Amino acid sequence: MIQLEAIRKDYQRRGQILTAFACESQQIEDGEYVAIVGPSGSGKTTLLSMLGGMLSPTTGRVLVDGISLYEHSVAERSAIRGQKMGFVFQSFNLIPYLSALQNVQVPLSFTTTSASEQLERATEMLTQLGLAERLHHKPSELSVGQQQRVALARTLVNDPQIILADEPTGNLDPTSREVVLEIFEQCHQQGRTLVVVTHDPSVAQRATRRLTLVDGMLVRAEDASSNASPQVAAA
Amino acid sequence: MNLRSIIWHELKSRPAGVAFNSLTIFLGVAALVAIRHVTVHSEQAVSKQLTNLGANILVLPKEATLQDYYAADQNGGTLPEEYVAEIFLSGLSGVEQVSPRLNVSTELGGHPVAVTGILPQSEVDSLAAWQATTMFMNAADTGCCTKANVATSDDLKAPEALVKHRAIQDLDKTALVLGADIAQKLNCQVNDRLKLQDEDFTVIGVLPVTGTVDDGRVFAHLHSIQRLWEKDSTCNAIEIVGCCEDAAGSLVPQLRELLPEAKVVTISQVVETQVGVNELMAKTSWIVLAVMILVGGAGLAGSIASNVRERRREIGTLMALGATPGFIQKLFLGKAFILGLCAGSIGCLVGVSAAIIAGPVWAGVAITPLVGTSLLAIFAATVVALVAAWWPAHGAARLDPCICFREV
Repeated sequence: MIQLEAIRKDYQRRGQILTAFACESQQIEDGEYVAIVGPSGSGKTTLLSMLGGMLSPTTGRVLVDGISLYEHSVAERSAIRGQKMGFVFQSFNLIPYLSALQNVQVPLSFTTTSASEQLERATEMLTQLGLAERLHHKPSELSVGQQQRVALARTLVNDPQIILADEPTGNLDPTSREVVLEIFEQCHQQGRTLVVVTHDPSVAQRATRRLTLVDGMLVRAEDASSNASPQVAAA
Repeated sequence: MNLRSIIWHELKSRPAGVAFNSLTIFLGVAALVAIRHVTVHSEQAVSKQLTNLGANILVLPKEATLQDYYAADQNGGTLPEEYVAEIFLSGLSGVEQVSPRLNVSTELGGHPVAVTGILPQSEVDSLAAWQATTMFMNAADTGCCTKANVATSDDLKAPEALVKHRAIQDLDKTALVLGADIAQKLNCQVNDRLKLQDEDFTVIGVLPVTGTVDDGRVFAHLHSIQRLWEKDSTCNAIEIVGCCEDAAGSLVPQLRELLPEAKVVTISQVVETQVGVNELMAKTSWIVLAVMILVGGAGLAGSIASNVRERRREIGTLMALGATPGFIQKLFLGKAFILGLCAGSIGCLVGVSAAIIAGPVWAGVAITPLVGTSLLAIFAATVVALVAAWWPAHGAARLDPCICFREV
């Protein structure tokens, strides 16, 4: 479970303090599929970064399974991320000089997984995603859709409980987008927690809950089953 | 996949960049190793030459010239013999052998000859005993080399030792040693008797041909010559065998301070050119080292910093995937380590090869690889690379991982 407690993130620009995100309280239960929507600059990526333990809030706490992320050191947060979280990026962020297989092994290299097990698990994951013939291809030798599948394999190879995705379909054609959304559905069915930042209403529609951000505030929370709920938080 | 393989794949992906990044270090190490090899071998050659010279420092009267010494000219003035004792008593570091000489001219069998009075080492040793006492009272590390041509008492037993070691262990006050030319002119052999200033002397040895002025000299006991020519306790020159490095360094100034009324010279003109080349190359090697540290280090620091900038999103992604700041820092330090080690090793090979080829032409010495110098150069290159990369690597480790979400 992810909990936000009295979170606020301020930036200082030319002597002025700007609030990028503020929220009194918010909770994402285990196994939830949450879409975060809102216009550009509304604080979606700031929220995702704070959930991922990569951006310290100015005030407040982010708890993941009861662990207050920002009460730990940067190195400890990295370890927590490696164990519990997987990231999906809009531009896939594959390492260009590594093959598909090596890219998928990268998260495992931060753990104590042996080289043979790394190879086995990465191969299995890529095969599951239909990339058995592309194991030794560099990202530049893959189509955009294949690159995103390699990135998904890299996200899932560590078997993370929480998946944080930033515009995962932003750069994809409709077919590839559908493949990605199918995989997210499967992850959701496997009981993983998904937090997806998106501009795309059709992607948000697939989530079980939608949080709408405007000017750094959560203005609305909608369940898939209901049309709308009252404003959930205020700065 | 691990840290090493990530570094290795990244290096392999941009070979031209890697070569360019390490170019300054490679060139610096190559130049440094080549110069050091030539310098060290040249110094060894000089040392060998000094050793072969025997005496490498001369104490002469103020008004005398080196030519006077070589010509055995007694008109060059005299020195008190007690200077020998003073030299020993001062306990100077690097004095290995001291031999006073007095030259006089006379006629033997109608031939003009130079007679050189020498003090046998058995008598010098009794003076040297005082040196040990002085050193005991005023302990100083002599740090003496083993290269000086210091003879043992056994080496000096035969009269021929005068040729090689410029000294003789024992010499009776009525004994003579003849140079090869004068022995031939006088038709003299060992055990023949000769008269000097109407006093009888016995020839105890004839020196082999040396091709020097010694071939025309007659050697006798210093005190006999002093007595016969009424040169009370004086000599024309004091020959000193000093440690090679001391003779070329602090010993001469110390002797000058000790004996202000005398002229102290080294037989440096023989090796002057080579010593000059050595000094030049020693200075050049320091300049090259400084250039390698400054230019190579700055160049590598710049290229690693640029590499960090280019890979910011990759760094953010690795951090998002679980890499710790320590891992990121090691990623760049590891790269710098490989660059420094490889550039240093290849530079070292090229430098040694260049020295082997150019050494005989440049400095007239044959070069053999110096393992210690080579390893030290590689180590220095690696350390320079690591130090240069430390700050950019530290910066990379402190990058905001949120950069992975940004579109580039």
